[in-house]
Amino acid sequence: MAEFSWIARSPLEHALVVGACGARGTAAGVSLTEIRNFDLIQVMARRGKAAELAKAAETRFGVAAPGTPKAVRVADATLIWSGPDQFLVLCNGGKHAIEPLSQAFAQSGSLSDQSDARALISVSGEKARAILAKLSSLDLHPAAFPAGTAAATSVDHTSVNLWRGNDRPDGQAVFNLLVFATFAESLWHTMLDAAAEYGVDIRHSEELG
Amino acid sequence: MRIVCPFCGERELGEFTYLGDAKPARPAAGATENEVFDYVYLRDNVAGPMSEFWYHGGGCRAWLKIARNTLTHEISSVEPAAGVGARQVGA
Amino acid sequence: MVGPAQTHRLESGGLIDRAAPLGFRFDGKSLAGFQGDTLASALIANGIKLVGRSFKYHRPRGILTAGSEEPNALVELRTGARREPNTKATTAELYDGLEAASQNRWPSLRHDLMAVNQLFAPIFVAGFYYKTFMWPAKFWEAVYEPAIRRAAGLGRAAGVADPDHYDKAWAHCDVLIAGSGPAGLAAALAAGRSGARVILCEEDFAFGGRLLADGGTIDGVPAAEWITRALGELATLPDVRIMNRTILFGVYDGGTYGAIERVNDHLPSPPEHQVRQRLWRIVARRCVVAAGAIERPIVFAGNDTPGVMMASAMRTYVARYAATPAKRIALFTNNEDGWRTVETALAAGLQIAAVIDARPDVSAAHRALAAKGGFAVLNGSVSGVEGGKDGVRKIAVALTGGARAEVEADGLAVSGGWNPAVGLTSYHRGRPKWRDDIAAFVPDSAPPGMVAVGAANGAFGLGSCLRQGFAAGAAAARDAGRSGNAGAPPVADDEDFSLTPLWHVAGKGKAFVDYQHDVTASDIELAQREGFESVEHLKRYTTLGMATDQGKTSNVAGLAIMAVVSGKSIPETGTTIYRPPYVPVAIGAFAGHHRDENFHATRLTPSHHWAAEQGAIFVDTGLWRRAQWYPRAGEKDWLESVTREVKAVRGGVGFCDVSTLGKIDVHGPDAGAFLDRVYINTFSNLAVGKARYGLMLREDGIVYDDGTTSRLAENHYFLTTTTAKAGPVMQHLEFCRQVLFAELDVQLTSVTDQWAQFSIAGPKTRDLLREIVDPAEDLSNEGFPFMGAREVALRGGIKARLFRISFSGEMAFEISVPARYGDALVRNLMLAGKPFGVTPYGTEALGVMRIEKGHVAGPELNGTTTAADLGLGKMMSTKKDFIGRVMARREMLVAPDRQVVVGIKPVDKTRRLRSGAHIIPKDKTPGPDNDQGYVTSVCFSPMLDQWIGLGLVERGRERIGEIVHAHDPLRGEDYDVELCSPVFYDPDGGRQRG
Repeated sequence: MAEFSWIARSPLEHALVVGACGARGTAAGVSLTEIRNFDLIQVMARRGKAAELAKAAETRFGVAAPGTPKAVRVADATLIWSGPDQFLVLCNGGKHAIEPLSQAFAQSGSLSDQSDARALISVSGEKARAILAKLSSLDLHPAAFPAGTAAATSVDHTSVNLWRGNDRPDGQAVFNLLVFATFAESLWHTMLDAAAEYGVDIRHSEELG
Repeated sequence: MRIVCPFCGERELGEFTYLGDAKPARPAAGATENEVFDYVYLRDNVAGPMSEFWYHGGGCRAWLKIARNTLTHEISSVEPAAGVGARQVGA
Repeated sequence: MVGPAQTHRLESGGLIDRAAPLGFRFDGKSLAGFQGDTLASALIANGIKLVGRSFKYHRPRGILTAGSEEPNALVELRTGARREPNTKATTAELYDGLEAASQNRWPSLRHDLMAVNQLFAPIFVAGFYYKTFMWPAKFWEAVYEPAIRRAAGLGRAAGVADPDHYDKAWAHCDVLIAGSGPAGLAAALAAGRSGARVILCEEDFAFGGRLLADGGTIDGVPAAEWITRALGELATLPDVRIMNRTILFGVYDGGTYGAIERVNDHLPSPPEHQVRQRLWRIVARRCVVAAGAIERPIVFAGNDTPGVMMASAMRTYVARYAATPAKRIALFTNNEDGWRTVETALAAGLQIAAVIDARPDVSAAHRALAAKGGFAVLNGSVSGVEGGKDGVRKIAVALTGGARAEVEADGLAVSGGWNPAVGLTSYHRGRPKWRDDIAAFVPDSAPPGMVAVGAANGAFGLGSCLRQGFAAGAAAARDAGRSGNAGAPPVADDEDFSLTPLWHVAGKGKAFVDYQHDVTASDIELAQREGFESVEHLKRYTTLGMATDQGKTSNVAGLAIMAVVSGKSIPETGTTIYRPPYVPVAIGAFAGHHRDENFHATRLTPSHHWAAEQGAIFVDTGLWRRAQWYPRAGEKDWLESVTREVKAVRGGVGFCDVSTLGKIDVHGPDAGAFLDRVYINTFSNLAVGKARYGLMLREDGIVYDDGTTSRLAENHYFLTTTTAKAGPVMQHLEFCRQVLFAELDVQLTSVTDQWAQFSIAGPKTRDLLREIVDPAEDLSNEGFPFMGAREVALRGGIKARLFRISFSGEMAFEISVPARYGDALVRNLMLAGKPFGVTPYGTEALGVMRIEKGHVAGPELNGTTTAADLGLGKMMSTKKDFIGRVMARREMLVAPDRQVVVGIKPVDKTRRLRSGAHIIPKDKTPGPDNDQGYVTSVCFSPMLDQWIGLGLVERGRERIGEIVHAHDPLRGEDYDVELCSPVFYDPDGGRQRG
């Protein structure tokens, strides 16, 4: 009998080419990094159990789950608000994968594994806001969208979760986009088109920012 | 048009889908055909303030009940629809 | 110096860069200009007066204005795929190598044979479309329209795809400012200093508005210096964004504005990776409209002769561009401001032939100026112009008191006063109000958050512009919650703009109101006589204001003339409704990135790239791109490939990517109860580990969607939808959950993208699965019965879900793995399936097999059918309420003569069946009275070796075996078909249960 290899492929495996893209000459205005191989769990409160769920989240993560559009970073996970009485848990290494989390929220939440349903793209650089202005109708001005702000929104007619993580060491803002996997390649091309005039630096990584 | 989602804040129209009149409530099980007919088909053609269902499908997926003036597009209130119109549907 | 000498360029002055000469071509002739020129100013500098031919009469036309209100000077800019018709020479920036051609002339601008249209002028009067071409009707398409299109019209579209990129973007601010004249800059300073986020849009490439031509003194320094200082200060404010080449063209609900930025129109082609234009959607708390005013013509005979120009435009060309439209200029004015052109011209060393002032009194200062300049001041009006395509030669003047005079001049500057640009303020059906003191309409109301200032508000004086702009900028910032110190407003004096209204001077010859659409004063009088007196009727009857310039120079004069002939006042006559866009916006800009392969977002399944490697042919289904079939070498057409795929499945094993089905996790203690309410059948009693087919209705009783739903755990169902309805069903279920049945404890999550799902079908399915599934898993009929659903382990350690469901009628499973393994799964299936001849199949083969089995799909779930129509009426539970239950029982929905799903096959087995063919009883004449339904789905059945189909036919199920007539008027086909059971293949279902 044949032995099978189960090679995992990211939704952007085909489209993403590491390196520079678009305008050259000066430093790339936009950095696009695909984050691969993460665990992503949708946690939704059972009817009337939002408070209980919040408590369970605090027990599990040591912080309150975001009740408003925010992303909260803890040591080994990021909790991202995704709608009323619901949030996403983003991590890697399986510690907060679907099975352990189902135990933790067994009484108060309904969980759905989204680890394969999304591609995660991190956008940064001097022109990050300029390219995002072509994709998103949100106001991403530093005062309107400070670090830690999250949004469930649409980009190019498809739903995304967008949040601003911690700034890069050079002070540049970092915007993270969780996009649906089957849309990812199409959206990626749209992003490259939008960013081409600024010059793009493309990478992938397994490190969650 | 801009709609202030009670959960997400102000968002552009493209994130929302319009359903229609929020006034009719789904009749309970056992309702007569006429009652259900009215619920399904009878709508006022409102020129002025109207209560409407909108879906924030391009955002937090919440159904919203919006008071909007159909003449001016002015929105006077937005609230979550959760619970609105719910009736016990008998087994 | 590039090209020939610029005969009409002043030796010095202007805001052009004489160190940057530019060469360009107009109608093939090489000419020269400077950086800082527009095409219009460069043409003027080269002594060119004739730039186009008019729309109806092909009359020679020259440049009338210096802005986006220009009705005459429209050109085709660039060549080849980048050729852009109807481009205003007055706003097109000159660049080196620019090529432009005049429009609407043949064979050449100077010798236009179509000018013969002037001889037929009597038939081109108001309403000519309606009057002349009414009869006979068929002549319209065949004769009149092509003739009119050749004779009339504007530029030609390129006819090939635009090679450039267009872009769309969003922007947000507290205070949006339209225009960078004195009012706009003052508003930006006040709002910016207050700490507001400011966006200022300026249509021109240079900032300053009328200051660029008219100068003046602000805060004690020349205007040019003040502009530099203001821009310098604004540049230091981090949240102030100043955009040139950008015009606000519309205002929409909720403080959303449309603007178009002509990013690279000033270059021959955009630099690599850059866009030509960018469409901005700007969300602003407040908007200050400082869009200025448009000087209006006075209507008189011959007022369209090249060389007749707006007085302010003449100043602009002389002062800003150092270009001289004429050497010996006459001015015709009814107001004080027109005299500024005289001052500018004299300062530039030009000769003034005469000033014709319609007002009875001319000030002593002006008379002194006339004496010094050596020209006459005539009290009267211009009654005619002698000249032609080479320009003005002589001007006839009707003097007050009745005498006549003549003035020799090669240019005539006209000033009839100023109309505030009321477009933006009126786009929410706002009606401007009339102000007698300036004889103009000014904004009365404005969309929420918007205010007009300066000339756009009827305050023409420089001091007033600065004051109003500054105050509005500061107030807007305050309204947006910004409380910084706005500092002191800039200060300047107000000039005298007094006027005596004059709209129309009676005279012999055509007097144009709307230059671009060739609407004359007599057309308006005719419209009034024929009863088209309302301004909206006037507009449509005469086409006044309907050209690309939207009547910026003509509307007010037109309705003023209407007011006179109808004996009403101007405010009684009123204005037409204003609608965006303020200037034409390219469709390409609205499309932005969304063209060609990016027309819409595309969804790819996890096996997409593998399928592409196999040479699959793809089909767009909604947003998805799905493998339609997998051609092999030597196959002559799609049918051969599809037939092979079907036979391979029915004879062995094949697989198909069905990841596109909508997949929804339904969680919660009330999940079963919830599903009972949204499906017509019951799910609360479904055992864990089992799947069930479900049918959803709309509340009106019509079928909405179908699919299988599996119970994976006590409180967890996994629901599937059709590919097409995945989004709408999710929205519907959320409505049920959040609104209708809010008391139920149920949660929904889309997991469509989480799972790569494949249907594996055919008698050798188990053989293939046993290769890939962990040997410990029992796949036997007992261990995994039909409609079973559970998680299994695969060889190599990953988990999968198996569903024993069949759409093909074969022994089949659907297998799903986390999407990251979808590509690996399909490669492993190919590897493991090699001994069994495993065959990938596409959506065509899928469709063939479902038709052979009589399974309904999109063509039958068409928004008119009930569950009973589909043969699924027995699924409707009578023991519970569900969406659509009551309405589905309505009389007409349960009538015995409804069209229901039935099988259809041609009597002649060699004949091809076509969907859309109508079913007519054998002995009846085809026609609506005898129409009993139609063919919904067809395929060539490899198993039956003939074309078969499904149809919706009146009482179809009772008529199995009946021969009826298929009538296909679309394709001109008529043939006999037999009504039969929809289940063509394996009617007792033994294969899928085996």
